[in-house]
This record gives sequence, structure tokens and C-alpha cells, in this order.
Amino acid sequence: MIEVNELSKKYYTFERGHTMREVIKTLVHRPMKEICAVDRISFKIEQGEMVAFLGPNGAGKSTTLKMLTGVLHPTSGEVRSLGLVPWKQRREYVRRIGAVFGQKSQLIWDIPPSDAFYMNKAIYSISDKDYAETLDELVELLQVGDVMRKPTRQLSLGERMKCEFIMAMLHRPELVFLDEPTIGLDMIAKENIRSFIRSMNKRKVTFILTTHDLEDVELLAERVMVINHGQIVVDDSLTGLRNRLGNKKSVRLTTEQPVPDSLPAGLKLLERIGPLEVELEIDTSALALKPFISQFNESYGIIDMAIEALPIEAVMKQLYEKSHTPVHSV
Amino acid sequence: MKGILACWSSMMRVKLAEMMAYRSHFILSVLLLIVGDLVVPLVTLLVYRSGASFPGWTLHEALLVQAVFVLAKGIAFPFFFGMVGTTLSQVREGTFDLLLLRPRPVMFMSMLSGFDPDDFGRLVSGSVLFAFAMQGIVIPGGAAWVQFSLLFIASIAILFSMSLFLSGILFRWVGSSRVFDIFDAVSGFGMYPGTIFSKALQNVFTYILPIGLIAFVPASALLGREGWGSLWTLASAAALVLLGIVYWNRMLKNYTSAGG
Repeated sequence: MIEVNELSKKYYTFERGHTMREVIKTLVHRPMKEICAVDRISFKIEQGEMVAFLGPNGAGKSTTLKMLTGVLHPTSGEVRSLGLVPWKQRREYVRRIGAVFGQKSQLIWDIPPSDAFYMNKAIYSISDKDYAETLDELVELLQVGDVMRKPTRQLSLGERMKCEFIMAMLHRPELVFLDEPTIGLDMIAKENIRSFIRSMNKRKVTFILTTHDLEDVELLAERVMVINHGQIVVDDSLTGLRNRLGNKKSVRLTTEQPVPDSLPAGLKLLERIGPLEVELEIDTSALALKPFISQFNESYGIIDMAIEALPIEAVMKQLYEKSHTPVHSV
Repeated sequence: MKGILACWSSMMRVKLAEMMAYRSHFILSVLLLIVGDLVVPLVTLLVYRSGASFPGWTLHEALLVQAVFVLAKGIAFPFFFGMVGTTLSQVREGTFDLLLLRPRPVMFMSMLSGFDPDDFGRLVSGSVLFAFAMQGIVIPGGAAWVQFSLLFIASIAILFSMSLFLSGILFRWVGSSRVFDIFDAVSGFGMYPGTIFSKALQNVFTYILPIGLIAFVPASALLGREGWGSLWTLASAAALVLLGIVYWNRMLKNYTSAGG
């Protein structure tokens, strides 16, 4: 469905210092700096996939997405998405894609979302029958029947995001780009949005998601691409990403005796929650769980214990901190 | 064509609904626009009442020029000039991306999003002024009306091309709200009969900055002062529109969006 080959994007930006003299100097001369936002990335995405694009701020995620949506022209490289080149066959292409931006609203602030939906109907030339059917279905799924007739400015953030999804999906796109769709939402609103995305994905709608909310990634994405310094540093399934941590697990312990800072090989103190409560990282390849539990109980007396896989944040932190050394595995 | 009309109809409905959400703002805006547009004609009236005049032009003939200018703005501004303001804010904020995600020509979407019903107030002030001006002149014949109608279409086309030049430059001069001042400074000359300026300036306002073609030439045609030769303005207007479209699309390539 999407094929990206050696895609690059370079910007020129103006540099200036912060002192008064440097600011005034820019009136006459502004030094330019070339920024390589995206550096020869290549990947493929199949229909029906749910892919998360991750990366630290300024990594090149949004620039990549903007090229995939046809908003920006690349400096070099090729993209074929839905059989089309996004920036060359833009009008034909955008008819088949949708986009939801967590920070850019497509609704109109002072009037109800239903008016904005109607405007989209005209822009996308959706027939009356298709519009009524699709709108009814989406309204039912997202439960915004009462909400969509109130002015947008009177809606809560969660209600507004649901209406944003309707705006993006009214024309039944095959491919949807989500840019931080759950930003600022409470956990119930997040779960509603995630549930909607999953139900659409089951109908073979392909989703590409950029987010800093790793819970979104864990609950939605099957595949993760991590971009850093304009390059793809990881392209792997979620399970594969976790496996990069090796055989490490997180163990939360409440003990009768305080656990010291220095620990045997295979153990690392992650957090001291209280005087008798700690969170440890255990590498089960160095220290198996059975001897660990036995030794710890004998030394410190285990009152309570919880063992979990290390959160994905641990992987992401390692990846973000590394310099760009691309590692592909799919 | 049907799709384009449906889009315009839908957008007009949405924009009017937006205006009605703040009715007092809408009414006030329209009233202020009407008052604002009548300042220059009022000053002209005072000038003539004091005994001075524009050589070769009666009061009503001078007001006719101003009425035609305001009428042209009354049509061009709601449909075309709003795109200057929306391009200014959207390019700066990076929300212009949303227009690029619609399956319509970007220029068309920019015009749609810039549609401003407030500016129809100019049609009201222009019509009032036009009616007042017509009271003091000899009723034109059919040929003069035909000439005037064609030249009026050219006026709107010229204003459309100006909106393209002004909004196109905003892809390069991001956030430059002074573009409106550029237009106001230059277009002010178009409110007066062109013959009051020197020959050099007349040529500038005809062949370089076609301000004179917006109101002076159509009004002169209605007054029977221009022959059918003045219809060359149509070709000039068409060329300007074409140039404006090419320029706008070329400048669009400078758009780099804002941060993610």
C-alpha cells in the first residue's frame, strides 16, 4: 500500500543568536543553516496495518508524515501510496486518505460540528445516501449524537476529538494518518478513541499513528518505526521491540528489611518507592526468577511482589539516547 | 462545475452561520464597512461644496468613479480578498496543511476558507453611492451599459489577480500583515478620476499597476467618455489573472508548513 524509497527532506532555516547585537545584525544579514529533517528513509506498509511512528521531538516524524500526505514535496526519494505519488497526484490521493491532528482542528470553532461535516460532504462530493449512512454509523460508534449539534467551542476535548474523527472518516478513507490523536484526553476518552480506531482497523483501514503516548502504542500498534535524527533506527513489531530488552523484567517488591543500593549481578535498582518498597530490573538471563525470589526472601523477607515485562518506555529511552545507528528488522 | 457550486453554497452557509453566532459583531462590521467606504465620497462632496472640483468632472461623475470602485470591492472582497487574511494566519500557524488535504485545488480551497460575508456591506455602500451618483448624470444608453458591464467584469478580475499576488507573497513573507497596507496605499489612487493625475502617473495606473482600470475606465465608459477600444482592458485583466494564478502556484512551492 505504501512504498517509501530513500526519502529525504532538507530545510533551510535562519540562525541567529539571542543578544541585541545579533538580533539587529539579522536585519542586514541572516546566516542560513541546512537542516536534514528526513535522511534517506525507506519502508513499506501493507493494507490494514496499524503502524506507530515514534521518535523524540524534532526527529522527523511529522515531516515524514507530511510527505506521505502530499503536504510537502521531498528533496529526493520516492513514495508510492495507494498506487499514487502523494505530492504529484494530490487531489486524487487525498480523496482516499484521512487525517486527524491532535493539535490542528478541522472543525469550525463557533458552529456545530454537524455544519462542518456538511461542508466536508460538499468538498468530497459525497452523495446524500453515502453521507447519511456513514454519518449515522460513525455517530453511533462514537456516540456523539447529542454532541454534534452544539457549537464546537462548547464541547469537551474528548467530544471534539470524536468529531474530528468523523470529519476524517466521512469519505471512507482507506488510509488514515493520526498525529497525536489522544493528546490531552482523559483515560475514558482515550479508550473510546482507541476502541474506535481498532474497530476501523478491523475493516482494513490502515492507520499510521504518531504519538508520544506509549500506551497508545502498546494498545494499538502492531508495528513500530522509531525515527531519530531523520533516520529510521528501528522498524519492528511491538513484540520485537520488547525483546530488545532481552530477558529483563520489572519487579516491584515490598520487604520486611530495606533493600540496599548495591545489588548482585543481574539486578538493578530502578526506583526506591519507600523505605521498604523498591522497583528492580531483573535480567533473567543472568539471574533466574526462582533463585532470585528464594535469595531475596531469605535476605530481606518478601511481603508483596509484582513481576511485569519492562514498560516500553525503557526501550524508547535507550533508542532516543543512542546516536543514529539504523537497525532494521522486519 | 456542480461540485464547485456545491462547495461555495456550503461554505457560504457555514460562514453565515459563523457570523450569526456573533450577530452584533456581524452587524457592527457591516455598518463600519459601510461608513468606512463612504469617507472618501463624503470628503469629495465637501471638496465640491467648497467650490473646488476635479477638472472636467462634476460631483456626480467623480462619485460615480468611487461608487464603481466600492461596488467592485463589494464583489471581489467577499469572494477573493479573504484569502489574503486566511493565508496570512494559516501559513504562519501551519494550518494551511489542512487545505492541502482536501481533494480540491488549493487556490479554490483558500478562497473558500477566506470567504467573508462581512464584506458584502461594501455592496450596500457601493449601491447607495451608485444610485446617488446616477441621479446627477445623463442616463446612459444600452451600449454604454454593455461596455460598463464588460469592463466591470474586468475590474473584478483585476482585483482577483491582486488578491493572488498579495496572498502568494505570504508564502515567502510569512506573517507579513503589511500586505493589506500595500493594497490600501496603492488602491487609494483608484478612487479618483484618472485624468487628475499627470500623464506619467496615468500610464503607471493603467499599464503597470492597473488601479485605473478598476473604476475609472468602467465609470468613463458609462459616462460615454470611452470608446469600444477600452475593451482592451478585458485582455489585460485576463492576462493579469493568468499571471496571478501562475505566480500563486509558483509561490505555493515555498510553503514549508510549521513544526509537527
